Amino acid sequence: MKLQRMRIEQLRQFRKPFVLDNLQPGLNLIHGPNESGKSTLVRAIRAAFFERYRSTAVDDLRPWGDSAAAPTVELDFEHEGLSWHLTKSFLQRKRCDLKVGTETYSEDDAEEKLAELLGYQYPKRGASKAEHWGIPGLLWVEQGTGQDIEQAIEHAGDHLKSALNSMVGEVASSGGDDLIETVRSQRDTLLTGKGSARGEYLQLKNDRAQYETEIEGLKDRVLKYQEQVDRLSKLTQDYDQAEAERPWEEAQRQLEQARAHYQQVERLEEQQAQEKATLGQLKQNHRLLQQNKEHLEGLSRQLEGRKADLDRAERDLATAQAQTPVIAGRLQEARTAYEQAEKQRKLAGLLQTRERLEQDVRRLEQQKQVLTQNLAKAKDYHQQLEQARQQARDNRIDAAAVKNLKTTANQLNEETIRSRTIATRLSWQLEAGASLTLNNEQLTGEGEQQLLEESTLVIPGVGTLGITPGGEELASTRRKLKTLEDSFAEQLKTLGVASVEQSEDRLSAFENAERAQKHAEDLLKSVAPAGIEQLVSEQSEAESGLEKAKSQLQATPEPDQKESVPALEEAEAAFVQASTALDKAEADEREHQSTLSTLKQARDNAKTEWQRLADEEKSPERQQQLRQITTDLANLEKQQTELQASLESREREIREARPDFLKQDIERYQNAVNQLRQTQENRGRELRDIKVRLEAWGAEGLEEQLNEKEAEYDQCNRRYQELHRRAQALDLLLNLLTEKRQALTRRLQAPLQKHLNHYLSVLFPEASLEVDEQLRPGTFSRGTELGQITELSFGAREQMGLISRLAYADLLREAGRPTLVILDDTLVHSDSERLEDMKRILFDAASRHQILLFTCHPEKWQDLGVAPLDIQASKEQSSQFV
Amino acid sequence: MPKFLHTADWQMGRAFTRFETEDGAALVEARFESIETLAQLANEHQCDAVLVAGDVFDAQTVSDRTIRRVFNATRAFAGPWVMLPGNHDAALAESVWTRAQRLGAVPENVHLALQPGVINLEQQSLSILCAPLTQRHTYCDLTEPFSGYESPEGFLRVGLAHGSVQGLLPDEIDSTNPIAPDRAEASRLDYLALGDWHGTKQIDERTWYSGTPEPERFRNNEAGNALIVEVAEAGATPTVTRITTGRYQWHQWRETLAVQSDLDQLLERLNALPESAVVDLRLEGSITLAGEETLLQALSVAEARFRSLRCERSGLQLAPTDEDIAALKADGYVGEVVESLRERQVGAQDDAARDALAILAGLLREREQEASQ
Repeated sequence: MKLQRMRIEQLRQFRKPFVLDNLQPGLNLIHGPNESGKSTLVRAIRAAFFERYRSTAVDDLRPWGDSAAAPTVELDFEHEGLSWHLTKSFLQRKRCDLKVGTETYSEDDAEEKLAELLGYQYPKRGASKAEHWGIPGLLWVEQGTGQDIEQAIEHAGDHLKSALNSMVGEVASSGGDDLIETVRSQRDTLLTGKGSARGEYLQLKNDRAQYETEIEGLKDRVLKYQEQVDRLSKLTQDYDQAEAERPWEEAQRQLEQARAHYQQVERLEEQQAQEKATLGQLKQNHRLLQQNKEHLEGLSRQLEGRKADLDRAERDLATAQAQTPVIAGRLQEARTAYEQAEKQRKLAGLLQTRERLEQDVRRLEQQKQVLTQNLAKAKDYHQQLEQARQQARDNRIDAAAVKNLKTTANQLNEETIRSRTIATRLSWQLEAGASLTLNNEQLTGEGEQQLLEESTLVIPGVGTLGITPGGEELASTRRKLKTLEDSFAEQLKTLGVASVEQSEDRLSAFENAERAQKHAEDLLKSVAPAGIEQLVSEQSEAESGLEKAKSQLQATPEPDQKESVPALEEAEAAFVQASTALDKAEADEREHQSTLSTLKQARDNAKTEWQRLADEEKSPERQQQLRQITTDLANLEKQQTELQASLESREREIREARPDFLKQDIERYQNAVNQLRQTQENRGRELRDIKVRLEAWGAEGLEEQLNEKEAEYDQCNRRYQELHRRAQALDLLLNLLTEKRQALTRRLQAPLQKHLNHYLSVLFPEASLEVDEQLRPGTFSRGTELGQITELSFGAREQMGLISRLAYADLLREAGRPTLVILDDTLVHSDSERLEDMKRILFDAASRHQILLFTCHPEKWQDLGVAPLDIQASKEQSSQFV
Repeated sequence: MPKFLHTADWQMGRAFTRFETEDGAALVEARFESIETLAQLANEHQCDAVLVAGDVFDAQTVSDRTIRRVFNATRAFAGPWVMLPGNHDAALAESVWTRAQRLGAVPENVHLALQPGVINLEQQSLSILCAPLTQRHTYCDLTEPFSGYESPEGFLRVGLAHGSVQGLLPDEIDSTNPIAPDRAEASRLDYLALGDWHGTKQIDERTWYSGTPEPERFRNNEAGNALIVEVAEAGATPTVTRITTGRYQWHQWRETLAVQSDLDQLLERLNALPESAVVDLRLEGSITLAGEETLLQALSVAEARFRSLRCERSGLQLAPTDEDIAALKADGYVGEVVESLRERQVGAQDDAARDALAILAGLLREREQEASQ
């Protein structure tokens, strides 16, 4: 579609005709300052297409203050090789004429033709609004709405899809989305989003369940009612039959019969009990009599027994008495033997005493002799001891002092020798007569002296010489020597000796005396260990003991027959043996005597007993009693036999009558009577109950109710089934429609995406813009940035909006649809760099589409490479023509 | 010359399912009116008595109101009525009859034959030999004792029984309550008035089923009549006159539609029915969208005209023709949906697909109509 010429008249500020001519197939830049009528031109184009010629809501087209105006728009354009001429007048002259090639359309036909061509709708009434604009709404961008792409696409909706039909085959549908909405709204009255019932459908579903429950309840009750009716019928029958037959009376009769029968048996049982008691008494008597008889008959047997006892006792006694002499003899023998043994034992004791005494005398005499000898020796040794002691006392000297003395003597010697070696030796040889006085000592002849001290040598006639021996040592030696000499002399004096030799002699004598003393002491101790006095007393003791033993021996008589006397031990043993034998014999004798007396006693007792019984046995009363008892017994036995027979026959009689069964019979008949009566009473009661119940239930008209309820249920169910089917069908339809529509959308997405990318690559080389299912530009991504179009800046949104529209235009063109692009003062928010890119995009798009770009900033678009069209200039030009 | 009216199977207390509430109520009301009609007829024809051969009531426990209304409806005829308990209203120990008696609803001129035996209507010289059901079902012939019943000299012997005549009725061969086919002859009856079969049916020259006076089923078996029986004298062959009493005619049609003319014929037949018709239609086969539109239109008209019209179309496939589709202007993906539904419907007898197609067609048509306006 290419707009070629446009003419307007009586429209806003264009009171006079205005022509916009020579419009190019590509880009057209139309500019003019504010108020020059730029927006009016845009409005005129829109009005020519969108507003119905007969609309009364287009007052804005009227020139100000001109109520008689008829705003008119004339458009010439070319589409698919045909030239189209549209003339549309509003308000005062409402007309619409369309000439396509050679055909002409007018009024509504003309308008429909235009709407179909471009893809938009007319409003039902009033002014045309954005939602009616369809595809032109997308491609004709009004001032300041370039960024609102989503709304425009939504409004284009079906027109777009229908227009794109040819691109994707016969899949798009005209009005399909409205259809989907209708189906959805119808479905939603029946079903929730998740597909469960709602509204009337749900109500019916619930009602249906309610009816089912009620019907079930009613059916139950009807069934119960029928059961009760059946029961009533059965009961009535049973009751009447029982009333007619009266079975309890027969049972009563049988009961009485059984009772009579049982009473008879009871009487028999009483008799039997009495007879049994009598028989018991008889048996008791019989037993007592029998006992008496047995007692009496027992006396003779006892007597025989007693006699035998007596005889036995006498025999035992005689046997014992016969043993008496033997036992006495044995006792005598034992006594004699005992006395003999005692005598022997005394004799033996005497002899032993004498022997002991004789031994004592011998021993004492020997003792006395030894003691005497020892005493003599002891005296001798004592004397020797005294002598040795005297000797020791005389020569007593201290051995240690002697030793010291000897040491001192030796030291002295040594010191003397030492002094001589160190002393100043003065030797001399004098002529015979000459003398010298040394230290007042006369020296003559030849000699030598050692000088230890200052000395004075006087040489007669010559004078005196002082000599002083030299050296310290000489002085100390001289002092030591002096000390030793003093000590030696002192020790000698102490010891009382003149020399060392003398002291040693004395010490030797002393030690000899000590040894002698020791020897004497040892000897004395050997003979008189306790001293001589003790020895003397022992000797006197021995003497007196001897005297005593001798006198005792003399006092002891000498036995006569020494040879027949046994040893004392032997005699003692024989005596003990004899004593034991005697004890035994005496015990035997005592026991024998006791036995004898016991036997005698037993024999006497037995004799008494026997005598007493023998007397009794012979009495006449006993004979009489015995005879009487025998007779009584015979009588009793006869009575017993009779009674027994009677009892047996009675018992048989009772047994045959079966009293246990009779008793059970009574119980049974009694129960039967009660039960039969009770049953009948119960029947009567139940009958009354059921009748009352049935009357009540019957009044409810249960089956009719059920019938009605079933009819209601049927209706409800029918309606429910209808809705159910409708819901299913709508659900299915909706699913199918949405499914198919989505499939279609997916097929349209790809080509749109392609065109979008074409433009986007100019603006943002690295970016991409996804198209969503509604064919709207959605997710925008640039590098790592990711977001929705709506999140971008206003400028960027406007740019995106424009390239989206251009992409749609490309798509529509491919589908063979008209694609006029009108931009009214667009891209005012773009910076110069972006604007540069957008110009390249527009220039590129203009190679495919006619673009009308209205602006009041022509300087911004100078480099667009097209001659700008100045409205102001055109206006003036137009007025010249007219 | 004794003359009496023979009717049966009133089934009072029955409610009708499968109808709209209003229609059901009207049908119930018609049954009460039919009793009045019978009373009226008895008067018109100067009948001596009215004999009801069982199933006066549909159930034992109907409401008190129904009981009273039934007896009230007999009022117009003052002569004797003899009512026999049938299988629906058997004379059990407690029954609708005992209730009616307790309610005091039974007029003096109405005789209830609650026990087997003879009811002698002295004035009318009629001996009614009654074989009431005293159990819900019996398996022996209750009319057998008729042979042993004596009737006064000169009285007509009229049997009154409820059950199936053996060997003559279709469909009910093994039914309960059997009646010997030669009962009338065997028991020296002048006439045997039978109930249980809802259509009017003659068994032999003396034995008839009167049928129900007002139809209540779709089974087409001559329902909606009463019989006027006239017997010249004891032993004479009775003259039986059939009189239509039914107000509504019940029609049940099963039709298979294949070609357009089938539909045309059906609609013609429908148009020919009287307004008192109760119609139950079940359609099968297939129909075009245009055909369905026609059908719905016709049904809508008929619904308003008839007492009741029900049409079951779930067995009827929607088979849109190419013209149908073109007329719908279902282009693009909506066209695909139409095609998909068509296929589904043919493939698997899919009810939902059929309905969905119908709905879609409807919506598209609506849209077309709006557009064309």
